Amino acid sequence: MLRVMEQMPHILVVDDDREIRDLLARFLEKHRLRITAVRDAKEARRAWSNGHYQMVVLDLMLPGEGGLDFARWLRAHSDVPIVMLTAMGEETDRIVGLELGADDYVAKPFNPRELLARIRAVLRRAGDAAEHRSEATGRSLRFAGWTLEPARRRLLNPEGVEIALTGGEYDLLLALAERANRVLTRDMLLDLLRGRQAGPFDRAIDVAISRLRRKLEDDGRNAQLIKTVRGGGYVLAATVERT
Amino acid sequence: MGLAVVQVAGLAIHAFDRIDVQRLAQARNVAVRVMGLYRTVVMTAPAEREAVLAELRHSPDLSVELSNAPPTAELPEAPPFEQRMLRVNLNLVPMPPQLHPRRPIQVLGGAGWHRLVIGLHLPDEEQWLNFTLDVEPLRPWHSPTFLAAFLLMTAAAAGLTLWAVRRLTAPVRTLAAAAEALGRDVNAPPLPEDGPLEVATAAMAFNTMAARIRRFVQDRTEMLTAIGHDLRTPITRLKLRAEFVEDEEQRGKILADLEELEAMVSATLAFGRDARSSEPVSSLDLAELLRTVLDEAGDARPEAAERLAYEGPPHATVRARPLALKRALANLVSNAVSYGGSARVRLGPPSEGMLAIEVEDEGPGIAPAELDRVFEPFHRGEPSRSRETGGVGLGLAIARNIFRAHGGDVTLANRPAGGVKATATLPA
Repeated sequence: MLRVMEQMPHILVVDDDREIRDLLARFLEKHRLRITAVRDAKEARRAWSNGHYQMVVLDLMLPGEGGLDFARWLRAHSDVPIVMLTAMGEETDRIVGLELGADDYVAKPFNPRELLARIRAVLRRAGDAAEHRSEATGRSLRFAGWTLEPARRRLLNPEGVEIALTGGEYDLLLALAERANRVLTRDMLLDLLRGRQAGPFDRAIDVAISRLRRKLEDDGRNAQLIKTVRGGGYVLAATVERT
Repeated sequence: MGLAVVQVAGLAIHAFDRIDVQRLAQARNVAVRVMGLYRTVVMTAPAEREAVLAELRHSPDLSVELSNAPPTAELPEAPPFEQRMLRVNLNLVPMPPQLHPRRPIQVLGGAGWHRLVIGLHLPDEEQWLNFTLDVEPLRPWHSPTFLAAFLLMTAAAAGLTLWAVRRLTAPVRTLAAAAEALGRDVNAPPLPEDGPLEVATAAMAFNTMAARIRRFVQDRTEMLTAIGHDLRTPITRLKLRAEFVEDEEQRGKILADLEELEAMVSATLAFGRDARSSEPVSSLDLAELLRTVLDEAGDARPEAAERLAYEGPPHATVRARPLALKRALANLVSNAVSYGGSARVRLGPPSEGMLAIEVEDEGPGIAPAELDRVFEPFHRGEPSRSRETGGVGLGLAIARNIFRAHGGDVTLANRPAGGVKATATLPA
């Protein structure tokens, strides 16, 4: 929290609807983020060259040059984290966006608090694993025979059969796999689940971890893959390949 | 049936024909033998006739005797047709005129044609030469090739008939299958417009009708999708605005209303999207998917989490469209939880190539008349039910579309113990 106060992250918001743009800027500023809001890719390019941003929140349905094209341009110039605003039900846009290297997405009409939680999680991940960023995005993660595909948000077992995950379980597993062999504290994991679930978050973490272990066929009492760390944290004990 | 009648008629004609031929042959044979003996007897001097006859009497099926009277066997007179035929044949045997019998030839014989008695009046004496013959019974079926020919003919006729019937009914069956397929999927491929003129015309008319229905469904779907898309922006704005409402309680209510609105839009868009079903098919673990759907239902409604249960194997791999299938199953589970307050999901073993997924609840059940209507798009049960859940009445319609697009189906039934059981099937 202290760090966020010290240097408010600067975020570039690109959305063609003026009202959404203004409301979103006000909402995020209220939550201690610095916002520059622009309406299309042309303005966004200008803003990008004139400022320094820690993140871009990008609406994919932009007039003129589409959001996907801008995302591609952005990726070619920078590895700034991108959170996409996608149209509900447009899976192809989402998949293409994630494959291009966007870090996360929220479907419109989004819940502002969920967007805020995503932005915070992505910022934390970016600061946390800056050295991995460029190679991490959009690629599949393979560990112990399992494959996690961020572009399609899915987990495949060693036989290539999809194993269903809830949104929260996916976020947890991705966080663990991206930082394999490093301990993730409960606080960090709580951040991921915020905005996803009702009910007490504390229990939600334990429940999600135990479900993940079941799905990964990791024996709960003698877990080898997702290990519990004394003092409140979890670690994915496996070599992760990015392909 | 018609074929059988024709066969029987053919058989009868054949039999009568054979009987006639055999009779004619027998008549000729009898005539030659009788006249031969008669001639020998007539040409012998009257005194020696008995002696000659004794010498000639050797054939087992023929006996001859000289008598003073015409034959008086206790046999009825032969039927006129046989009599005439025999007489004609007897008279056909060449004979000098002075040797001809003095009186017309007498023929006695049963209708059965087993034994014949023939009397010839000698030309020079007041005496009769009487013959008694055993005639071989007529055998209309006795022919070595008859059976084979008959079977061959029957088989050929049956084969031809079957072929013709099939050829005639094939287009009707194709049409029925196409209508069935269209009922399940408006994007079913069109009928081939070939074959005989009438068939091609029917196929063309059917395809035109299918195209119109498709157009209609598409228009409706596109309209819904457009409305859904257009609603996204205002809903997003309202959600953002709600964040600036100071009154906690009011904000919560506004957000809840917006969630409901969003759920309706989301269902409408899903309904439009599933009609296109562009998602690729891949392998997935159905058992794990069912448990995940239940977990999510429990996370969304913690108060019902205790009454959600899965029964079945820990793993079951199927080929399906993962997102679509998940939505279909989530709709069934959410229906059970909304209306029945619980959901017991059971995955059975594959039977006849299909997997059955049962979702049971313990609610009040559904009126029997409603059991199928609840699948209609925008159909809503009693007003009290729909208000409680805030759906648009698309959940079951979407689920049915998805299962049918996978080659399965979903039906509802009331359980004897109370509550509703939804049974969904998928190819294993």
